[in-house]
Amino acid sequence: MRGLGIFCVAGALCLVLIDGAWPFSSVAAAQTLARGHEDARRIVQRTPKAAPAPARGEQAAPLLRETVEADVSSRAIAITSAFTGTEIVVFGSVLNSRQPSAEAGYYDVIVVLEGVPEPVVARRKSNVAGLWVNTDAFDFESAPSYYAIASTRPIEEIADESFLEAHAIGLDYIRLSPAARSVIRAEPAEIKSFKEAVVRRREQDGLYLKADYAVIFIGKSLFRASIALPAHVPVGPLTARVYLFREGEVLSTFQQRVRLEREGVELWIYWFAMRHPALYGLFTVMIAVIAGLLASAAFRRKAAA
Amino acid sequence: MHIYLPIAEMPANVLLFLGMGSAVGFLSGLFGVGGGFLLTPLLIFSGIPTPVAVGTAAAQIVASSVSGAIAQWQRNNVDIKMGLVLLAGGIVGSVIGVQMVRILRLAGQFDLFVALAYVTFLGVIGTLMLIEAVGAVQRARTHERPLLARSSGQHNWVHRLPFKMRFHRSKLYISAIPPLAIGAFVGFLGAIIGAGGGFIMVPAMIYLLRMPTNVVIGTSLFQIVFVAALTTVMHATENYSVDVVLALILIVSGVIGAQYGAAAGARLKGEQLRLLLAALVLLVCARIGWDLVATPEDLYSIATSFGGAP
Repeated sequence: MRGLGIFCVAGALCLVLIDGAWPFSSVAAAQTLARGHEDARRIVQRTPKAAPAPARGEQAAPLLRETVEADVSSRAIAITSAFTGTEIVVFGSVLNSRQPSAEAGYYDVIVVLEGVPEPVVARRKSNVAGLWVNTDAFDFESAPSYYAIASTRPIEEIADESFLEAHAIGLDYIRLSPAARSVIRAEPAEIKSFKEAVVRRREQDGLYLKADYAVIFIGKSLFRASIALPAHVPVGPLTARVYLFREGEVLSTFQQRVRLEREGVELWIYWFAMRHPALYGLFTVMIAVIAGLLASAAFRRKAAA
Repeated sequence: MHIYLPIAEMPANVLLFLGMGSAVGFLSGLFGVGGGFLLTPLLIFSGIPTPVAVGTAAAQIVASSVSGAIAQWQRNNVDIKMGLVLLAGGIVGSVIGVQMVRILRLAGQFDLFVALAYVTFLGVIGTLMLIEAVGAVQRARTHERPLLARSSGQHNWVHRLPFKMRFHRSKLYISAIPPLAIGAFVGFLGAIIGAGGGFIMVPAMIYLLRMPTNVVIGTSLFQIVFVAALTTVMHATENYSVDVVLALILIVSGVIGAQYGAAAGARLKGEQLRLLLAALVLLVCARIGWDLVATPEDLYSIATSFGGAP
């Protein structure tokens, strides 16, 4: 959540969106999203970075600074009983593009799609008397539940390390905040190995992903990237961030939120299980008892016939 | 065909779990066991988080035990007084067991504990069953009469304990402590490993309490229905780990499979059945044991808070 705040004034707004009323009305949501749009645009305009000086003689007219505008293919993804993962297309365009063609590679774009931060425990096994047992544990206050990065080429070639680190861009710079209680006990090398383990295991699990050449320019200014959202993605809001680069300098950024929520029966069951666990348990038992009774009754009739 | 499981937060192949449920149901009908000890490991192997597997299997055990218990009840094979004493112990054990699940999950040792419990109990029970079944097959070949499990006038230390109670249906006059202890132990184990515990309770009732064999199965099923129901509710309230969609798939396929299993069981010889069951139990035991001793591909694992408890 801290990551959002760094980027935009809308951070506070986003926080309200995440923590606030969960079944907010669609009208309110639309308004909030629209406001987020405006805010993001304002930020873009405030970007202090100057555009690279155009080569003399090439263009005579005074040049406007490039900005990026982007959106996602779907801002609200419903997890229904038929949900088996989906794909989010992040697309956008560079305003005042000076790129001669789609293949020119004049601009670089990085797209980051990130889930909500959540506490995570990393554990390490060691062999105790012939058995593999969890012997060491390390707590992280927060690690993103999902993290996908797509770029026009490897991110190390696009921007320098300090920028990537400051903006949590790339699997090496994912914001993992170790819990104080674990840091006291562990050595720096240990912390590093636990951090690497979190990224590695999530990568194997398909929850952290990286695609180096997945952002594709379709024309002089239009680009797109499609990012896979696996079926077991933890439910919660996602944030899409788009960075536009030119020769290592960030020209413009854009941010959009994606809602990922249970819907229909899934939402109802989840709500029932979390809000009324005792009733939910009894309900499950009742289904079991009825099924057992029905089966034995049906079978007895069959046996008698 | 996939369906999203709301609590496990993953899509499940409906056909796979229907198949799994009916196979376990068939075997439980065939052998007259609850099948939880097969179902829970199978669910874990297929990627269901261990707490969800344990919590959901408890619901399936309720379903499979209900029909069996009703059938036994109609044949007057349930010692209600004994069942209630076992149940009293079972409730205490189950409450402690569900709390234990929470503590073990916090400590990161839940999976290990479940695996160790399975290896120990399946190993011991499987070996005993194998020895008994091999002996029975040999006896059947030489046309010997089987040994009786109970002979009158025989007493052991169990019968010298205080708080004696009279159990009319079982024709027993024994202390209430052993049945309470057995009930508590089985309830505790059931809550932790997601099995009804019939495979432990039945031998304990025959050999320790010396109950007549005809009331053992019915009484055990009677008690399991209530303990498993309680365990399900407690897993739902304490661990938020009961997935009703998964439970429904397993229950429907399980109860149907069990009926066919029971029909098939009537055509097979008892000692052959027990030999098969022993082999199956040892196979599951070996599979779980292998994961404990084999060097893992990655020594690191990560876990998130699941339904509140990390």
